[in-house]
Amino acid sequence: MMKDLINAIADMMEDEAMALTKKYLDEGVPPLQVLDAYKEALAIIGKRFEECKYFVPELILAGEMMKSASELIKPRLTPGSSGDETKRIGKFLLGTVEGDIHDIGKDMVHMLMDINGFEVRDLGVDVPAQRFWDEYKDFQPDIIGMSGLLTLAYESMKRVVDGLQEMGVRDKVKVIIGGGQVDEHAGKYVGADAWVTDAVAGVKYALEWVKS
Amino acid sequence: MIIIGEKINGTRKQVAEAIQNRDANFIRDLAARQFENGASYLDVNAGTLPKREPEDMVWLVETVQKAVPDATLCLDSANHQALRAGIEKADKVPMLNSLSGEKFRIQGVLPLACEFQTELIMLALDDKGIPKTSEGRLDIVRSLIEMTRAGGLPDEKLYVDPLVMAISTGTENGNITLETCRKILKEFPKVHLTCGLSNISFGMPLRSILNQAFMVLAIEVGMDSAIINPEERELRGMMMAAETLLGKDRHCLNFNRAFRAGKIGPTPNA
Repeated sequence: MMKDLINAIADMMEDEAMALTKKYLDEGVPPLQVLDAYKEALAIIGKRFEECKYFVPELILAGEMMKSASELIKPRLTPGSSGDETKRIGKFLLGTVEGDIHDIGKDMVHMLMDINGFEVRDLGVDVPAQRFWDEYKDFQPDIIGMSGLLTLAYESMKRVVDGLQEMGVRDKVKVIIGGGQVDEHAGKYVGADAWVTDAVAGVKYALEWVKS
Repeated sequence: MIIIGEKINGTRKQVAEAIQNRDANFIRDLAARQFENGASYLDVNAGTLPKREPEDMVWLVETVQKAVPDATLCLDSANHQALRAGIEKADKVPMLNSLSGEKFRIQGVLPLACEFQTELIMLALDDKGIPKTSEGRLDIVRSLIEMTRAGGLPDEKLYVDPLVMAISTGTENGNITLETCRKILKEFPKVHLTCGLSNISFGMPLRSILNQAFMVLAIEVGMDSAIINPEERELRGMMMAAETLLGKDRHCLNFNRAFRAGKIGPTPNA
């Protein structure tokens, strides 16, 4: 089923992927099926990233290909098919915490979560705890993801979690922290439900959580 | 090229543990190895929470300068209390890492640099983040140099960092940095340039090859110092080669001396 398209995407062949996408859509293949082909390709790409065959540039390009494809597919979706291009499987609030401006990992997570069907609200970098709390109230996410590379980020992460506790909502939301240096100790200190050092691992947790 | 050794950084787990446990041997060893590999400056970053950072910084300064009295310390912190404590403990006037356009740093770091007439690393970013263009970065540098000049700090004490961003996230990131270097030196010829070189290869395979190539390109546009791991032998070799090739090494003496001393090239007895 559209193996050539899946392979073109997974092999980073932008032009071929776009040409095949157009071809299938023009042939009348249901747009959601074409989107599924992209999702399958993204799973392959994620695996290659885990295997250290693909690196950050490939993930970024994958995101761009996905975006270009969505722009082609969205207008072709029949109105009334749940009103949204795909059913969103959950809501994800994301940000790099106060005091830290590292964003590459966060941006990877944003893209992978989006591709995997989450509705993502990305607060950017150097995000104060108050903003996380305000956005929680407004967005009502299922999962909050906090990113930080510097060890001082743990304090900021802990503040956010403590605040959720005070708001009485800690048990209503899952918290995951990520960064190059997080570990079990950091996870416990912050009070997170999970800790990861790479984007792909984080997405795995999120998918498990929404399934249950 | 002036090498600023990057390894004593408390944002790295192993170093954080050594600081926490007051493991002086670990720090002394890190300091000595970097110095022996050509680092004339040693960056020290306590990486700890504000309450304990000043005392951690003092301990680091004490430990490192005892181990390597001939090195100059480069105090790496945004916390002015930690910086002041470090400056007062240091036997030699240290370099400060860093001033930027962030309000917090202008208020905390600039006065210290002027008061103690320290060498000063200056980052081309501000509270709005890292400008995507070389002009944007230059604007920040201009306004900061206006402040340092007003504070009586000569341009020669400045080590301006044009900011190195990962090539993996932007095809033009290398060019933007190099262009920023050219522009800074054109307008402020007396300043030094510096950078966190290995940022260029983040998120890529074969990082050491990318770092070496970028080192050469940076030297060509006038980079005269860098914050690196001095123990990366190949990087050192490439750095010396570039300097020799660009006429900064009369009769290739430095390069050949380093070769004879076994400091560059394949490891002796390999």
